[in-house]
Amino acid sequence: MTGLSTQPPARSLVGTASVWLIKYAFLLLFAGMVVYFVTQTEAFLTPSNVLNILRGSVIVLIIALALTVVISSGGIDLSVGVALDFGAWFAIVAMASWGLPWPLALVVALVAGSFIGVLNAVLIVGLGVTPFLATLGTFFIGRSIQQIGTDGGANINYRQAPDGFVALTQGSFFGMSMILWIGLLVITVYFVVLELSTHGRRISSLGMQNSAAKVAGIDTSSYRVWVYVSASATAAIGGILLSSGLRIYTPLAGFSYLLDGIAAVFIGASLHRDGRPNVVGTLIGVLFLGALGTGLDLLGIDFNVKAALKGVILVLAIALALLVSQRLPRVEAFFDRRRDIASA
Amino acid sequence: MASTNVTRAAPDWLRVDMLLGVVVRRGPLIVFGLLLVGLAWQAPNLLSATSIQSSLIQASPIAIVAFGLAIVVIGGGDDVVVGGIDLSIPAGAALATAIISDQLTNQGSSFLQAFVLALLGALTVGVVNAVLVTVVGLTPILATLATYSSVAGIIKVLTTNRRINVEHPTILWIRDESVLGVPVPVVIMLLVFGVFGILIHRTAYGAKLQTVGGNLDAAMTAGLSPKRYVASSFVLAAIAAAIAAVVLVARGSGMSPGIEDRLLVDMVLATFVGAAFSARNVVTIPGTMMGAVLVSFMSNGLILNRVDNSWVDGWKGALILIVVTAAALQIRRVKQ
Repeated sequence: MTGLSTQPPARSLVGTASVWLIKYAFLLLFAGMVVYFVTQTEAFLTPSNVLNILRGSVIVLIIALALTVVISSGGIDLSVGVALDFGAWFAIVAMASWGLPWPLALVVALVAGSFIGVLNAVLIVGLGVTPFLATLGTFFIGRSIQQIGTDGGANINYRQAPDGFVALTQGSFFGMSMILWIGLLVITVYFVVLELSTHGRRISSLGMQNSAAKVAGIDTSSYRVWVYVSASATAAIGGILLSSGLRIYTPLAGFSYLLDGIAAVFIGASLHRDGRPNVVGTLIGVLFLGALGTGLDLLGIDFNVKAALKGVILVLAIALALLVSQRLPRVEAFFDRRRDIASA
Repeated sequence: MASTNVTRAAPDWLRVDMLLGVVVRRGPLIVFGLLLVGLAWQAPNLLSATSIQSSLIQASPIAIVAFGLAIVVIGGGDDVVVGGIDLSIPAGAALATAIISDQLTNQGSSFLQAFVLALLGALTVGVVNAVLVTVVGLTPILATLATYSSVAGIIKVLTTNRRINVEHPTILWIRDESVLGVPVPVVIMLLVFGVFGILIHRTAYGAKLQTVGGNLDAAMTAGLSPKRYVASSFVLAAIAAAIAAVVLVARGSGMSPGIEDRLLVDMVLATFVGAAFSARNVVTIPGTMMGAVLVSFMSNGLILNRVDNSWVDGWKGALILIVVTAAALQIRRVKQ
């Protein structure tokens, strides 16, 4: 007897549990992984190690946030690694070779990184090239420029970096590491713009239905320009942090962040109700990758094996997250039908 | 003296907008042609018989993996985010070179046994891609980027990041000998070209694959099951990777770590530059073949001109951009 209640009756206990299990399958996997690392290594859950994981994840987080916006707008940016390299490179060059004070060097680094985004925007918005091929082209050119500028890929050491610049990563503020504050600031800005403002919804509408967005009167071209330029500028912030932490510029270091960044965005999207890229999901994806990397290190696994293992686990995790999120409506429908049969 | 009459009477091929159309449509080829002429001007050796032969030998592994990519792009369509792409082919090929080299040198296997094992290795990568894309529903770019990096890691574990030399007679025969004056790697490339070209452009399977990639709705209305065709394209790409591995082992007299990186650049370049050779600017097998030959001629020309290695990537990136920009401008013209 359901009466006049508009609220459907609750599913059976089994049904509720199954739906819950499937909804949170990835988070359960994440939790299971953490438990495994805690039992296998003593150091995993110590405060200093947790802080290490967080600090080590900031640059990946920044790249992943840049990609979240690009992928949300229906594009892709394979050149974020190059934009990161340009940020890292020009920050050091501006101080070491041009003798600029470090705050100005930060501006130079941001401009240099944004240059990659401007190039992408001209190709994609101005000329109509597909984002995959356009950013692949800028990726190759950016890589070549770095090799030419460093005599074939030699590191640039900058041991005498000014204290203020080094403090960007190694200083602390109110008892928390400076790099964590910067990560917090960047993710807050992205959360506000992408999840709370109308701009975020408009960018998302480009990715869902570009022609509908146009008909609705959204200036899709200028939004797209901003998406690519801001992605590169954000990646350059990651580059600045990399240089500040290591006091070395290593050419082509940015590429290794690309796959982790893309993976984090897709893990996050699979956690979203409608499968959209989103800031909180991206954060969970980044933390998963950070915990996985650190855990494998603590287990004392060989460097080469770790690279292979991380890739395989990544493929499995994304596959699981996606498979499960696709099955959810069907499982919900199955238990709803059983409930209706039972109550009839 | 009516100059206007003269212009009006001019034959069609002289009309400015037609000429402009040809320039825009054939822009990438014109740029490529000018570049090659310039390179040959600077280093006339480029057009000597030995240089042409070495360019063709260099083109063979690029062409074979690029055929694989072409099939995936033809079957998956050219959409930005969800379209067909397989970045893992070079990694599959590198895995196959590692297996062949290890089998021949360390395990003392026969060539056939080594090749079959390498084929199985590459097919595993292809099947994983097919499952991730068609069953799990990952976008091809993410799935194959992930398998690329996983396989690259696995190769490092298997080979402990060391080079393996091979001196097996069959490999040396492929490296040094010719059939009817044509070097064996080029013969292999032409054979693969023939088989894939007929399969894609002359059979019912090929026509259906093109339909699935070109117009998904039409394909489904016609009763085709798109997933099966997309899955088959990844398997064909894996077979191409295994065949390319034989040529790669012969060329390098063994397996060197890191070959997948260079091959990736050339493969993507050859496939998408090749599209400029087709009438409608789409990826085809013959176009891909021309693309691969042009890419290796250009690489050779840059080397003969003593261009610093650091610049080569930049040139290739610029070329991709010129080619795809020309293609994009043409599409825009057609729309107007």
